[in-house]
Amino acid sequence: MKATLSSEWLKLRSVASTYHAIGTAAMTMVLGVVWALYVSALAEDRGSLRAAAPEQGFLPLLQISLAVLGVLAITTEYATGMIRTSLTTVPKRSTFLLAKAGIVAIATFTAALSILLVTYSVSRLIIGGHQVGFNDSAFTDDLPMLLASVLSVTCLALVGLGLGAAIRSTAGAILSVVALLFVLPGAANYLPPPWNTRVAPLLLPNLVPQIADQRLSSRLGDGFLSPPAALALLLAYPLIALALGYYVLKRRDA
Amino acid sequence: MIQLQHLTKRYGDALAVDDLSFNIEPGHVTGFLGPNGSGKSTTMRMILGLDAPTSGQALINGRRYTSISKPMHEVGALLDANAVHGGRSAYNHLLCLARTNGIGPARVAEVLEQVGLAGVARRRVRGFSLGMKQRLGIASALLGDPDVLMFDEPVNGLDPDGVRWIRDLMRSLAAQGRTILLSSHLMSEMALTAERIVIIGRGRLIAEATVTELTARYPSLEDAYLALTAGSLEYGAAR
Repeated sequence: MKATLSSEWLKLRSVASTYHAIGTAAMTMVLGVVWALYVSALAEDRGSLRAAAPEQGFLPLLQISLAVLGVLAITTEYATGMIRTSLTTVPKRSTFLLAKAGIVAIATFTAALSILLVTYSVSRLIIGGHQVGFNDSAFTDDLPMLLASVLSVTCLALVGLGLGAAIRSTAGAILSVVALLFVLPGAANYLPPPWNTRVAPLLLPNLVPQIADQRLSSRLGDGFLSPPAALALLLAYPLIALALGYYVLKRRDA
Repeated sequence: MIQLQHLTKRYGDALAVDDLSFNIEPGHVTGFLGPNGSGKSTTMRMILGLDAPTSGQALINGRRYTSISKPMHEVGALLDANAVHGGRSAYNHLLCLARTNGIGPARVAEVLEQVGLAGVARRRVRGFSLGMKQRLGIASALLGDPDVLMFDEPVNGLDPDGVRWIRDLMRSLAAQGRTILLSSHLMSEMALTAERIVIIGRGRLIAEATVTELTARYPSLEDAYLALTAGSLEYGAAR
């Protein structure tokens, strides 16, 4: 397992797409700076306002870029045919997929944590004493939301890896991740009541505020999941996707 | 040694490999011949545990491939030279494979030297010609210094110097007592490289003989091949 992990780590480090994905995710920091400058200028004029926090507003950018990293970790192997060479060097398919999952988890967790912490701190530094709504809470109060956001990024990347192993196509797997992240939550918003508030809280992006015990949105209210239940459901997403990926990897010819 | 025992692969109604049984012995190059679509590549994938046989089994030194924990030390294979990530350098590509079996960077440098790619080791594989990719594939097969080697069409795309090099490499690997299975459509090349020949058609065994036996019965290996496979052409053009 250790040998396979070190191989997968090198595989991830030695292709340009990894750096493109992390670079795109890092745009969150730039956007966070721009947003902080904009809202402080507004606060200068108006005295005080209620703006969204950049680490929450730009979270979908981070989620989708690093989910693509998870997808590409497996689908490029199918696209190039490298999968056959990989599976001749590691015939045990559970070891192969677990090693990939471990490396994708560590890489996306570290990247997301660094990017969100930088976005969080730099935006507060820029805003300074201005009252913009999101900078009046202590760091320890914001920590659950930050950690839940980081975890959601890693979970979504692992969903991408699992679905990539199941579908074996880059386009198909990215489409599925986009559906989970943007299309389904968008559609659930507009379900007739009470179905919108019954379905939407179960969807992946809406689990983040529920884990931190925060409100989902003015339209959807608080959500009905307790923080532990929301956390369990968030972890269930990658587990199901990886189980599906493993089943296909194991049963179908490479 | 590679042993096939009633190896069969069915895709829906089509039998890609039909009850193949033969042994590939160490100490010489065994040529693996057959028309396009005859099941050569499917057979090789089943030997390597990539495709699951519908029935029967393939054994390497008495074991199933998937039960070997560090297979690169026992079996090396080149199935498709183009099956590499173009964005990776030759060195990193080989090191990714080497690490899975605990093989160090020194051995990677050694095989790169052996196949003549040391000078371009840090270049991305995307820019390689087919011949260079074949050399890279051969390097990956040699990484673990295995006793059993399989090559699917390794000569395609190589220049005359490369063709000569592969011929000598195959023969010297066999002379060291290794088991070599070599598939190719180049009959003249096969006649110079292989000692034994296995011919399959439509997934079934057609002939198993030495090159000497075949060239004694027919004017050349090519004539032998054409006569033996005449009834099992999957895709034959009108003449």
